[in-house]
Amino acid sequence: MRKLYFEISWVVFALFIFINGANGQSLDLSGYARNYTGMLLTGNNEYAIIQNTFNLNIEQSKDKVAFKANPYIYQYPNQEMEIGLREAYLDIYFNTVDLRIGKQQIIWGKADGVFITDIISPKDLSEFLLRDFDEIRMGITALKANYYLDDNTFEFVWAPYFSSTQMPGESSTWFPQLDFPVPPVFDYSQKEVAAALKNSEVFAKFSAITSAIDFEIMAGYMWDDDPTMHITKPINPQTHQLTGITVAPRHHRLGLAGGSFSSTLAGYVLRGEGAYYNGKYFNSEDPTLADGTVKKNYLHYLIGVDYTLWDIRLSSQFIQQTILNYDEPIKNDEYENTMTVLASKDFLRETLRLELFSYIGLNNSDALIRPKITYDLADGFELLLGANIFVGSEGRFGQYDHNDMVYTKIKYSF
Amino acid sequence: MITKKIQLVLMAILIAVPALMFSQAKITGLKIIENVYNRETGNDMQGDLTMSLINSRGDQRVRKIKQFVKDFGKMEKKIMFFVSPADVRNTSFMNWSYDEAGKDDDQWIYLPALKKVKRISSDSKSDYFMGSDFTYDDLGDRHPTDDTHKILREETVNGEDCYVVESVSKDEDYIYSRTVSRIIKDKWIGLKKEFYDEDEELLKTLTVKKYEKIKNYWTILSSEMHNVQKDHTTKMELANVKLDTGIPANKFTERMMKRGLK
Repeated sequence: MRKLYFEISWVVFALFIFINGANGQSLDLSGYARNYTGMLLTGNNEYAIIQNTFNLNIEQSKDKVAFKANPYIYQYPNQEMEIGLREAYLDIYFNTVDLRIGKQQIIWGKADGVFITDIISPKDLSEFLLRDFDEIRMGITALKANYYLDDNTFEFVWAPYFSSTQMPGESSTWFPQLDFPVPPVFDYSQKEVAAALKNSEVFAKFSAITSAIDFEIMAGYMWDDDPTMHITKPINPQTHQLTGITVAPRHHRLGLAGGSFSSTLAGYVLRGEGAYYNGKYFNSEDPTLADGTVKKNYLHYLIGVDYTLWDIRLSSQFIQQTILNYDEPIKNDEYENTMTVLASKDFLRETLRLELFSYIGLNNSDALIRPKITYDLADGFELLLGANIFVGSEGRFGQYDHNDMVYTKIKYSF
Repeated sequence: MITKKIQLVLMAILIAVPALMFSQAKITGLKIIENVYNRETGNDMQGDLTMSLINSRGDQRVRKIKQFVKDFGKMEKKIMFFVSPADVRNTSFMNWSYDEAGKDDDQWIYLPALKKVKRISSDSKSDYFMGSDFTYDDLGDRHPTDDTHKILREETVNGEDCYVVESVSKDEDYIYSRTVSRIIKDKWIGLKKEFYDEDEELLKTLTVKKYEKIKNYWTILSSEMHNVQKDHTTKMELANVKLDTGIPANKFTERMMKRGLK
């Protein structure tokens, strides 16, 4: 009941702000209303999602200060309404320094749709990677300080409180496939990271844009957003049979350093990004390990190219994840290779757009193929028809082979 | 008698040759187009740009942009903030162009949904700008040395004395086989321009509707591009123009692309 009151108070607050803004105060209001309906192509053509969204950006700036709040509502006909604040922050502008304090999305790196140095804002994977990118990235409470020197930027981020990746619920069709001989019992008692100063995260970045090249160099001391699954498999000493499996998700500290670049060459945009992760945990089938995990250093990098051919915008990325000092029982492959491909073309004076985006898992021959067609019925009113086709039977994308779907999104932006 | 004739011929040569030389040195097609390209527009400029896209049925879509331009000597920086329609609001675009012939522009776009500044290729100058009838080249970024220019004639248009100059691309694959421009003498404003497609058919006509002298600089305030083959029109209007206000150099940075018009 308390939660309901909280939600209602948010709606009333948002309406209050909206009405005040509409009455001529200098609040800048923008956002969208959207209907998103998806239907599975398998089984009984169940609805994969029916979601109504209201997203509001409330902003105001006065000379040296500004604020932004971004409340949102996801309403579903068959489940609880979700209300939240994607961002809520204050800005202070000095001559060469900007400060941003509060809940904010912080995006780093040059990769598209791949998270290598872009690890500050945790991900909302409630619907795997299908949501729009501004909806996948969750805001975190942080202090961000930027110092500018011409076209060079020094950025420092302190996140006092750790927020983890939002995973789909165990009953969700997007809950990851588990490879256990018997259904496991989950023990979430160690998952939370206590809200304490010693558990805060820090990140630093130097970036520059120049005529020849744009680049970023970054480092972070953080928590791994994705929990490691610590697995215990007690054996009955008399029968030597497995008595059950307990999975205890737990977050671990992680240090990383990396960078990215982007440059143009004869009409091509070349992009690269890489990071060295110091001390990342992986699951292993080594029977001598008490909890089925092992700590390794790890590399994650990408090279990409964007170009235009016959008025079709094309973009392709090759991504490799490498576990250093690899042990054979580790469940992940030593090298995991992925590609992304994007092709898009506009028609009718940029009111009609055809797009095809695909993730391709090279290790498991699996893929996620996402064709879509978007038409602007009027300025700010968009009709979208798309499909998510999962190919393969295992791997990051193939595990969702039964979740192929078509969907529509109808969106009014204001 | 013969001596007198020789003297007359010599005199005629002495008068005619310098006059001929003077008229040839007076102006060339290239010089006219360079004068248009290099027309003084102030050290910096800001204004509100409204683009109205009108289709053959008369339906209209409007795009509003706030733009800032500053001359940095051998390069010019431009930053555009998209104000409407709502789904592109807070998108920004930055362009660095260089006086050096053959050096490509550098371009970046900031997409608020991605919260990221992306470098984009400036190779496709034949692309249409925001679905309008103007290509990036049509908006004035095309370097004079990319074409060969020839004066066809002189004529009066709307009471203005104009040079009529034909420009042919040095790149055979360029979208226009040729363009014909009417350039106002002394003001160096292209008053009318015809664009011919690869089949030598008339594709588009550009008409400058309004120009004013602001702070001693001739400034185009209203123009219209009509695609005669598809019967599209794009009206481009510039309002609230401010010149030489001393826009700070840091306006043209990634920081400001992300901050927007705050």
